[in-house]
Amino acid sequence: VIGSAAEALDNTTDVETPERVRFRHHVAGPVRRGLAYLVDAVVRGGILLGIGVVITASTGSPRAKVSSSGLMLIVLFALEWVYFVALESALNGQTPGKRALGLRVVKTGGHPVTFIDCVLRNLLRGADFLPIGYVVGLASMAADRRFRRLGDRVAGTMVVIEDRPRALPALGFDAPPTDAELAALPGRLALRPDELDAIELFLRRRTLSAPRRRELAELIAPPLAARLGVVYDDPERLIAALFVRARGRGGRA
Amino acid sequence: VIDQDAFVARRRTAWDELDALLGAGRDLHKLPPANISRAAALYRSVCSDLMRARAAGYDADVVRLLDALAARAHGALYRAPPHRVSALWDLVAREFPRTLRRHGRAFACATALMIVPAIVSFAGSRQSREFALQVLPEETAEQMEAVYADDMSRGRDEATDLAMAGFYVSNNVGIAFRCFSTGVLFGLGSVFFLVYNGLVFGAVAGLVSRAGHGRNLFTFVAGHGAFELTAIVVAATAGLVMGYALVATGGLTRWASLRRRAPDVARLVMGAALMLLVAAGIEGFWSPAGFPAPVKWSVAAALWVAVAAYLAFAGREARA
Repeated sequence: VIGSAAEALDNTTDVETPERVRFRHHVAGPVRRGLAYLVDAVVRGGILLGIGVVITASTGSPRAKVSSSGLMLIVLFALEWVYFVALESALNGQTPGKRALGLRVVKTGGHPVTFIDCVLRNLLRGADFLPIGYVVGLASMAADRRFRRLGDRVAGTMVVIEDRPRALPALGFDAPPTDAELAALPGRLALRPDELDAIELFLRRRTLSAPRRRELAELIAPPLAARLGVVYDDPERLIAALFVRARGRGGRA
Repeated sequence: VIDQDAFVARRRTAWDELDALLGAGRDLHKLPPANISRAAALYRSVCSDLMRARAAGYDADVVRLLDALAARAHGALYRAPPHRVSALWDLVAREFPRTLRRHGRAFACATALMIVPAIVSFAGSRQSREFALQVLPEETAEQMEAVYADDMSRGRDEATDLAMAGFYVSNNVGIAFRCFSTGVLFGLGSVFFLVYNGLVFGAVAGLVSRAGHGRNLFTFVAGHGAFELTAIVVAATAGLVMGYALVATGGLTRWASLRRRAPDVARLVMGAALMLLVAAGIEGFWSPAGFPAPVKWSVAAALWVAVAAYLAFAGREARA
């Protein structure tokens, strides 16, 4: 049930491993990647500034000034073309910007990127950038399920969100539904499995503040109550009672 | 099927352990062997947890946590092999020239697309300054005429050499990479930049020789040109290969056809980049050095022969 619901979303892609396990990657969209690019731009600017200061401070004579201008051009070149290639291949598909935003470049098959992939996808920034500000790249991303710019398509890569979700609150009730409340419900509940899943997610979101839970419950309860023909005082208690009647106190039998 | 909360409670420690192993250091292969095999075992158990969680219909948060954990472990365990210096040697000694020969026709096209406009533009600019000004801005034209009025027989000082080497690296590699990358637009960008650069080179050469300094320019350019012009054409060849793969798909989808050519394209571009580094070294330090013209010409001839022989013969298999 969860699977078919998630397939309807457009920012996930399935990967099948040699162990015949399928898992799902969340593909990063243009905004998040743009922010990572900005962070990298700041890092690159910082490096340029730092090296510039060191070079300027250590050169006095006019002749040294001339040669330092050559060094600066080489640094500039390296920051433009080498920075992404070197870091992505050394840090397994990440740059400081991507790391800050929790992004990673992987092959479309889910494997880590190789050096050649990094060369291709980053040199092709030249085409993605056209005519200005990555317009071609954005158009390519808009036309692709996996938000790949041209460089990604040629290199066979995609950028995924690598998050570490932690909180898994257990199902629990501050005040469990009473037998009277359960008895007041009709004998047969016409609830679909996905509706029960949604209710379960709501019940597990115990990190939400009380007013926010209340607000959500007031959105969920009325249509259900209308369909099932139930009268209620407190929407939160109704939802909990419906769930316990359908699934039992532990959530699953 | 067990209760979701019981499942999470039972498996939680294993997940946290794997999470900690992955978070400990960036490189899994630098951890002690026991940790690596532990991570592999945990990865497999997380994979089965994931399938179980999906089959049992546990809620989206659990599946998402396991998805993310399995994906991270997979990325760490199946990491690309580390880089070897020998791979660079393979590229230089064999793979790059072989790949270029496989795409000989694209290389010939790229060469023609640069040389023909260059000749036309050279002839035209030699005849009339007006012609050159159709291609170059007035300012650049005057600058070029002034720069090559000096025959450089006295050489330049080292500081200027370094500055110029820096300029050539950034400028020429930029040109070459543009010739390459815009080829992904059905080859059109590569064609445009080849013709455009051909016109500019021709115009500069025509203009300078019209001003009577042609000898200075050619003496200066001949040496590094062997690497530089060839590398720009090679980069554009990679662009044309991409463009052609998008058009002649051989029954594949366009992008699959392009993907099939990707390894070749990457070799060509990396080869071109290496050649440009050599060119920048020659251009910055040898070309302006104060040697008499005959020496310069002989060295230039030797370099051209060397580049041609390298591209034509390096990495050929011995025939029985």
